[in-house]
Amino acid sequence: AAAMIGGLFIYNHKGEVLISRVYRDDIGRNAVDAFRVNVIHARQQVRSPVTNIARTSFFHVKRSNIWLAAVTKQNVNAAMVFEFLYKMCDVMAAYFGKISEENIKNNFVLIYELLDEILDFGYPQNSETGALKTFITQQGIKSQTKEEQSQITSQVTGQIGWRREGIKYRRNELFLDVLESVNLLMSPQVCPSPGQVLSAHVSGRVVMKSYLSGMPECKFGMNDKIVIEKQGKGTADETSKSGKQSIAIDDCTFHQCVRLSKFDSERSISFIPPDGEFELMRYRTTKDIILPFRVIPLVREVGRTKLEVKVVIKSNFKPSLLAQKIEVRIPTPLNTSGVQVICMKGKAKYKASENAIVWKIKRMAGMKESQISAEIELLPTNDKKKWARPPISMNFEVPFAPSGLKVRYLKVFEPKLNYSDHDVIKWVRYIGRSGIYETRC
Amino acid sequence: MPYLGSEDAVKELKKALCNPHVQADRLRYRNVIQRVIRHMTQGVDMSGVFMEMVKASATVDIVQKKLVYLYMCTYAPLKPDLALLAINTLCKDCSDPNPMVRGLALRSMCSLRMPGVQEYIQQPILNGLRDKASYVRRVAVLGCAKMHNLHGDSEVDGALVNELYSLLRDQDPIVVVNCLRSLEEILKQEGGVVINKPIAHHLLNRMSKLDQWGQAEVLNFLLRYQPRSEEELFDILNLLDSFLKSSSPSVVMGAAKLFLILAKKFPHVQTDVLMQVKGPLLAACSSESRELCFAALCHVRQILHSLPGHFSSHYKKFFCSYSEPHYIKLQKVEVLCELVNDENVQQVLEELRGYCTDVSADFAQAAILAIGGIARTYTDQCVQILTELLELRQEHITTVVVQTFRDLVWLCPQCTEAVCQALPGCEENIQDSEGKQALIWLLGVHGERIPNAPYVLEDFVENVKSETFPAVKMELLTALLRLFLSRPAECQDMLGRLLHYCIEEEKDMAVRDRGLFYYRLLLAGIDEVKRILCSPKSDPSLGLLEDQAERPVNSWALDFNTLVPVYGKARWATISKCQGAERRGLELPNTASLAASGPLIPEEDKERVQELSDSGALMLVPNLQLTAEYFEKTWLSLQVAHQQVVPWQGAVHPDTLQMALQVVNIQTIAVSRAGAQPWKAYLSAQDDTGCLFLTELLLEPENLEMQISVKQSGARTETLSSFISVLETVIGTIGDIKP
Repeated sequence: AAAMIGGLFIYNHKGEVLISRVYRDDIGRNAVDAFRVNVIHARQQVRSPVTNIARTSFFHVKRSNIWLAAVTKQNVNAAMVFEFLYKMCDVMAAYFGKISEENIKNNFVLIYELLDEILDFGYPQNSETGALKTFITQQGIKSQTKEEQSQITSQVTGQIGWRREGIKYRRNELFLDVLESVNLLMSPQVCPSPGQVLSAHVSGRVVMKSYLSGMPECKFGMNDKIVIEKQGKGTADETSKSGKQSIAIDDCTFHQCVRLSKFDSERSISFIPPDGEFELMRYRTTKDIILPFRVIPLVREVGRTKLEVKVVIKSNFKPSLLAQKIEVRIPTPLNTSGVQVICMKGKAKYKASENAIVWKIKRMAGMKESQISAEIELLPTNDKKKWARPPISMNFEVPFAPSGLKVRYLKVFEPKLNYSDHDVIKWVRYIGRSGIYETRC
Repeated sequence: MPYLGSEDAVKELKKALCNPHVQADRLRYRNVIQRVIRHMTQGVDMSGVFMEMVKASATVDIVQKKLVYLYMCTYAPLKPDLALLAINTLCKDCSDPNPMVRGLALRSMCSLRMPGVQEYIQQPILNGLRDKASYVRRVAVLGCAKMHNLHGDSEVDGALVNELYSLLRDQDPIVVVNCLRSLEEILKQEGGVVINKPIAHHLLNRMSKLDQWGQAEVLNFLLRYQPRSEEELFDILNLLDSFLKSSSPSVVMGAAKLFLILAKKFPHVQTDVLMQVKGPLLAACSSESRELCFAALCHVRQILHSLPGHFSSHYKKFFCSYSEPHYIKLQKVEVLCELVNDENVQQVLEELRGYCTDVSADFAQAAILAIGGIARTYTDQCVQILTELLELRQEHITTVVVQTFRDLVWLCPQCTEAVCQALPGCEENIQDSEGKQALIWLLGVHGERIPNAPYVLEDFVENVKSETFPAVKMELLTALLRLFLSRPAECQDMLGRLLHYCIEEEKDMAVRDRGLFYYRLLLAGIDEVKRILCSPKSDPSLGLLEDQAERPVNSWALDFNTLVPVYGKARWATISKCQGAERRGLELPNTASLAASGPLIPEEDKERVQELSDSGALMLVPNLQLTAEYFEKTWLSLQVAHQQVVPWQGAVHPDTLQMALQVVNIQTIAVSRAGAQPWKAYLSAQDDTGCLFLTELLLEPENLEMQISVKQSGARTETLSSFISVLETVIGTIGDIKP
């Protein structure tokens, strides 16, 4: 079987079992302890997210300091089991937010309820949060109305697994979030030539929250190069207007509600959305990425006991936009004895326990630059080992999509009900966050 | 697990559950039940309140029902007679007007693992298969498989199987997929569910309606379908095309695998598919979901085995970021090592060189080994980088570089000169056994080209008394004798001293025997020594063979998208063969007489042990003689290197165990008599490098687990894990075939 899961366990960082659900006979209680001893309490770094103990495979993921492990004795498909664990995390997060020890303890009954529905005999069943809501009754007492009961029946007799019939909203509304994570690896600058981009990519997601009545048909359009070129043949005007701003998508994938045949033939994205929140599309781009920040490091060794570090960051986007939650992490050698920092903006602190200077700036507008200089005093050591300088890493959040992706339209048609595209309230938001954003020095 | 005060907790909860005031207050009642489940989760035995929990199942509160059913499924095997009392409520719920209650009851009832439950669940399952709510049908379909498993080896119910086959046409996608799963389990003996042409085409047409789990499952089942004609084959491939673009990486990989298998006679189609999944695989390799990224990297490596150039132009995607987890970095280094070519070798080596000074010694060593691998093709550049690394004078770097050099001169003799020039000075930065062995070997074999070779070896001879590793002493003997042949004047004196020490003072028998052997060999005359010791110094053909061992896609297509690329083929073979042995063990008739002289270990397992030793991973020496005193002394001086528990039932038959262990060259030093409580055994074994494995087996009274503790005289984790898997196989086999 592709993904037959014998048991699911959730532990806190100490290895205490918070949730344990066994689905198959071949997984015994001793498996719970085996994982704690061999993985959670192991002293070395995790060498693989799939650990085999006594012919049993443990697939584990960690969320903050919670361990989730799926256990099986079958030759399953690893990607599938991990996707299932991620899905489980998403579903849990949709119910109670962050996956933390406290939340898991507080929602312990709910989690057991979920585990009962999303797996049966170890096989994945329904895992769409929207559809699951019908089966999970935290209110407990049999309070379902006749109407709700018939919904359960109709939901699963209907043709579309991801949406039930008869949904009604007084106000038809939808939210689109374009969430991107921009990743960068820069080579060190070797004077006089500046650092080069070794690799950069954006992985993005379009997340939609829909509160629409009935069975609405949606059509989504963006500034995808191929589409624009196709349409460009018709109207030369539009090409000249938006041609420059179109982007090349390396690959993209869609939620199963999107009709792929239509995408292949016309590159148009049309679908009937699930109710509530879902991920419409996931994509990746590698060309013409707007790198929101440049980091220019300068390290000078003054004798054997002193280092001078200067780091300049430059923001590279429209001056009217504001980046937030900026954090620059400058690694320091292990034998650092003291650090003096001067920065023009924000706050900088030497954190001895992390071997780094952490420089935080709350907000920074586009086309600006800021600088930090530090003097690092070193203890003389006998260690001949040269300090392998780890890269300078950065975190930030910007209100645009670094890939350049733009939503051009989202149209809603529901022929059976009396609301039209104009009546739907639509919101679009762009958030670009740093993924792994490193500059070697 | 002994929990302090667990008995009190049971008592207190029992009291609360019986309290009529609690029962009257819905929330309080549910709260107490929650506490029972909490204790159960932590491993406390809560079977003592079974009766009270059965009573609590008669409620209109669905949450309470769910909790009680979860409890019953856990403890029903321990309290079968009490569990029967709950059947009544469950049966009633199976005809509740609310489909959710019906489904819940049916699912729980089928999950009660106790004898005699079959007769109660048969009718509800049959009703469930025809229920108008698909939620109930899904549960009922899997219920069929659960019922079959309860029966064990009983006969297959033909009518039920037919009903399931007809439900493959159900409107609900999950019912369809569950039917496949259920049939697969019920028909396991006959080779699983049959996928004929109508079924295959029906499934293909339903694919787009399934969710990702269903799609992955169906793609897997379709692997066993053989299209009748080429035309049909290509029709199917066209239908499947869109799944290569699915948003779920596992569906993409599942579809790719199906393509590879169906098109096994069309290599160009296979290549085309691998091109198509390149994008999704690269996306997965750079995704934030680290575990998924790991799985994707394993598959990239698999593809590279057959198509070394496949990802070459994307080599920068496999550069490591500082903050990535350890396991991803290790995989990426392996990938870099395999995709290197004339265009990118410079950049890749540059990048790998950076990793060699990483703070994590483990990662640094992996990078050095990777450079060593690339050196087989791009020798000069790599040897230069490795030589520069020696200048850092770091112990953990030097030892691996020297080991890499040793392996390299064997495969690429043209680099011998460069290696010999790099060696002087290394001895100051090597402390571990592996590194010392490699250095000594190089000095012995190529000593005539290294001016100060005799002086370095002399240092080792001077300090031989305080040398802790017998393997180093063995290597030293051989190396010095070899060097003596090419540089007699400088070596004669110290060779004499070393032989004297080994024969007169050395306590390790293997070293002493080796010393005696060389001594006698020398007595036979110098020509005889030359004839025996001067073997070839390199074997370049070995390197070529490895490079040419490019495997066709069809050799791994069946393993694609399974655990094999994740664990590696060799490791998976060990794991799955053990599982095979387990199953065979269970099938042995109960009357099998154990004391009989027949083979205790199935033939296949003997082969496995053989295979292991052939691959050089672990070779246990036969007839190791270890006294009980020496065992005790060594045992007390070492730390436990590995501890684990394996399931066990009943008492142990010491003779059976001893005989079985003998077969795999593990000696029994001491053992408790049969039936003693607690029961203990002490075992010892030694591998060909001289590393000792000392083991304690412990069986506590009433315990269903055998605790294994292993101590090892050298710290080599890879042989430790092979040793443990050998031990596990034996114990697993003995455990299973006991009457």
